[in-house]
Amino acid sequence: MNTNANADAGDDGPTAEDRDEIPPAPTGFLRRWVFSTDHKVIGRQFLFLGLGFLAIGGVMAMLIRWQLARPGAPVPLVGRLLFGASGGVISPVAYTALFTMHGTIMIFFAVTPVLIGGFGNFLLPLLIGARDMAFPRLNMASFWIMFAATAVLTASFFVPLGPPEAGWTAYATLSTAIGAPGPGQTLWVVAIYLNGASSVMGAVNYITTVLRMRAPGMTYLRMPLTVWGFFLTSILNALFVPVLAAAMVLLFFDRVLGTQFFIAGTTPGAGGDPILYQHLFWLFGHPEVYILILPAWGIVGDLLSFFARKPLFGYRVTVGALIGVVILSTVVYGHHMFTTGLSPLLGESFMLLTMIISVPTSLIVLSWLGTLWRGAIRLQTPMLFCLGLVFTFGVGGLTGLYLADITADMYLHDTYFVVGHFHLIMAAALLMSLFAAIYFWFPKMFGRMMSEGLGKLHFWLTFVPLNLVFMGQLVIGYEGMQRRLYDPSVYDFLKPLLPLNRGISHAAYLLGAAQLIFVVNFFASLARGARAEMNPWEVGTLEWTVASPPPHHNFDRIPLVVRGPHELAHPAARSLGRDWLGQAEIVDDAPAASPTPPAREPA
Amino acid sequence: MTATSATTTTTTTTTTTTTSRRRETDAQVGLVIFLGATAMLFAALLLAYAIIRAQVPGAWPPAGTPPFPRGAAAANTIALVAASLALRRGRHWGPWAALGFGAAFLAAQAALWHHLVAIHLGPGAGPLGEVFFALSALHALHVLGGLIALALAGPRRLRLLTIYWDFVLVVWLVVYVAVCLL
Repeated sequence: MNTNANADAGDDGPTAEDRDEIPPAPTGFLRRWVFSTDHKVIGRQFLFLGLGFLAIGGVMAMLIRWQLARPGAPVPLVGRLLFGASGGVISPVAYTALFTMHGTIMIFFAVTPVLIGGFGNFLLPLLIGARDMAFPRLNMASFWIMFAATAVLTASFFVPLGPPEAGWTAYATLSTAIGAPGPGQTLWVVAIYLNGASSVMGAVNYITTVLRMRAPGMTYLRMPLTVWGFFLTSILNALFVPVLAAAMVLLFFDRVLGTQFFIAGTTPGAGGDPILYQHLFWLFGHPEVYILILPAWGIVGDLLSFFARKPLFGYRVTVGALIGVVILSTVVYGHHMFTTGLSPLLGESFMLLTMIISVPTSLIVLSWLGTLWRGAIRLQTPMLFCLGLVFTFGVGGLTGLYLADITADMYLHDTYFVVGHFHLIMAAALLMSLFAAIYFWFPKMFGRMMSEGLGKLHFWLTFVPLNLVFMGQLVIGYEGMQRRLYDPSVYDFLKPLLPLNRGISHAAYLLGAAQLIFVVNFFASLARGARAEMNPWEVGTLEWTVASPPPHHNFDRIPLVVRGPHELAHPAARSLGRDWLGQAEIVDDAPAASPTPPAREPA
Repeated sequence: MTATSATTTTTTTTTTTTTSRRRETDAQVGLVIFLGATAMLFAALLLAYAIIRAQVPGAWPPAGTPPFPRGAAAANTIALVAASLALRRGRHWGPWAALGFGAAFLAAQAALWHHLVAIHLGPGAGPLGEVFFALSALHALHVLGGLIALALAGPRRLRLLTIYWDFVLVVWLVVYVAVCLL
C-alpha cells in the first residue's frame, strides 16, 4: 500500500527541509526560454544545438563517403552549391577540411552537447531529487559559452584559406603556422578552448550537484547508474579538459605570438617539439573516449534493467568497475603513440595498462548480459537501441585489443581499421545510447510519446547499415588502406578495394537516409504525439514521480529516498498489482530502509 | 490554519539561515573543484616545460640565453602576498586593498614582460623566455579573473575570494620556483 502522503513539514527534520523552498518560476520569454537558469530548459537547448551539429557532421560523412566511392566524380544535388569552384568535385583541400571538421563537430559539438550537456543537465537534478543544479547561473553560462564556441567554429568556414585541415587531432606541425597559415586553424583553437571552458563549467556544476544536492536517503549506492556515469565523466572532464586547454594555449601562442613550443629546432639550441603536442593531446584524448562513453554505459545499465524488468546484475560491482575504468583511463594514453617513437619500455607499459582496462570493461558487459539473462524483456524502442549498443560496443571493444597490442598496431595504425574501431565505439555505441536516451526520456522532456512503429523502423535501418559501414571499414583497414587518403585508387594495391568502398558508401547513404525517419518522428511527436503519462515505462526512478514535462521546481516536496533505482520484479510490489517499486515509495509490507515517513506525493 | 502559518513562518526563518549556510558550502565545494581543474591546466603547462627542458641538449638554459631577472620577478611576489594578507584583514577595507595589490601585481608583470622582450627573453626568443611567458600570462589571466570577482562580489564573498587568491599566490610561487630558480 502506498501509505502516507500527508507527511508534515516538521517531521522530516532539517535535512529534508533546508532545500525545500520552491523557487519562483520566471516569467517573460527571454528568461524562460533563452537565458534560462532552469536545468531542464538548458538541457533542451544543449540537445537541439547538438542535434543540429549532428546533422551537419552527418552530411559531411556522406560527402566523405561519396569521394571514397567515386573519387573525383562531381557530387550530385549539392555539389555545385558547396564545391562550385571545382565544378562540384570535392577537391583534395576540401576533402581534408571535411574529415577534419567531421571529427571535430561530431566529438566536440554533437555528442558532447547532446549527451553530457543535454541529458546530463536534464536528468541529474531529476534523478537525484533536486530542484535544480547547484549553480544555475553557471549552468546558463556553460550553454552560452558552448554556443559562442559553435559560432567561432562556424566562422572558420568563411575565412581566407578556408577551414582547418589538420585533422580533428590537429597534430603539430600540421596545425602550426607552418602547416596551416590561414586564420581557420586559429579559430578552431579558440573554438576548442571555449568548448573546453563550457565542459569544465558543466563538470564543476555536475560534481557539486551530485556531492551536495542529493535528496535525503539518496546514498551513493542508491544513485541510478546514469547519475554515476555523468558524475564520473564530470570528474574526468574537470581533470583532463584543462590539459587540452593547455595544448590549445601553447598552440595559440605558437600561431599568434610566434613562440616555438611545437616547432622543432628552427633556431639553434632552441625550439620545441611537435611530439609534445601529441603527449598533451592524448593525455586528454584518451580520457575523452571515456568522458563520452561513461554516460552511455550508465544510461544503458539503467535501461537494460528497466526493460528486462529485473534488478541490474551486480550493481555494486558495476559501480566499482566504472570507477576502475576512470582510474585506468588516465594512464593509458600512450597507446595512441606506439608508432610515434616512444621508448620501448614506455610502450610496453602502456600496452599492459591498456590490456588491463578490458578487465573492468568486461565486468560492465557481464553486468549487462547478467541483467538480460532470463529477464521479462520488453522490446520497446529504447531497449532495441540498448541491445544495439551491447553489440556494437562488444565488437568495438574487442577490436581495441588488436590496437592495444604494439606489434599488431605497427601494421594497423593509421589504417581504416582504427577508423572502424573508434567509430564502432564513438559513433555506433554512442549513437545507440543517444537514441535510446532520446526515445526513453522524450516523454519526460516534452510531455509526449514518440511513435513506437517509426522508432523500431529507425532502429533496424540504423543498426544494420551502421554495422555494415564500420565493419566494412575494419576490413578495408585490415587490407591496408590508410585513413585520410583523398583517392585510394591511385595506389595499385588499393584498387581492388574500390567495390568494397562503394558498398560501404551505399550502406552509409542508407544510414544517413534512415535518420530522416528519426527527424520526422521527433518533430511529429513534438507537435502531435500522444500525451505522455507521468510514468509510461513503469519504472521507479525519481524523474517518473513528477509530471511530464516536470514543473519548473521539479518536486513539490523533496522526496525521501528509501531504496535503489532498479527495484523491479519486487515481491512486495505484487500487492500493488505491478512489478516495480519507486525509489521514494513506502510500502506496508516492504522493509523500508528508513523509518521516517516519505515526503512524496502519491502517484 | 492560522496556527500552521505561524509555525511555517518560524520554520522559514531558520530554514533561510541553514539554506544560506549550505549554499556557502556548495560554493566552496564548487570553487575547490574549479581550482583542481585550474591546477591541472598549470600542471600540464609545467609538464610541457619539463619535456622541453629535458630535450634541450647541454645545460639549461641553452647557451646564449640572457640571464633571467630573478630579482624583479621575486619583487612582484610581494604584491600577491599583500593581496592574500589584505583579504584576511576584514570586510571593510580588505577586499579593496586586495584589489589594489592585485592590480599592482598585473602592472608589475606587464612591466616585467616589457623588460624581458627588450633583453631578448620574450616570445620567439628561446625556450626559457617562452616558457615563462606562457605560464605567467595564463597566471595573469587568473589574477585578472580574481580582480573582476573582487570588484563584483567584494565583501560578500570574502571566504571564497580568500581561497581563490591564496591559490593564485601558490600557483605563482610554483611557477617562479620552477622556471626562475630551478
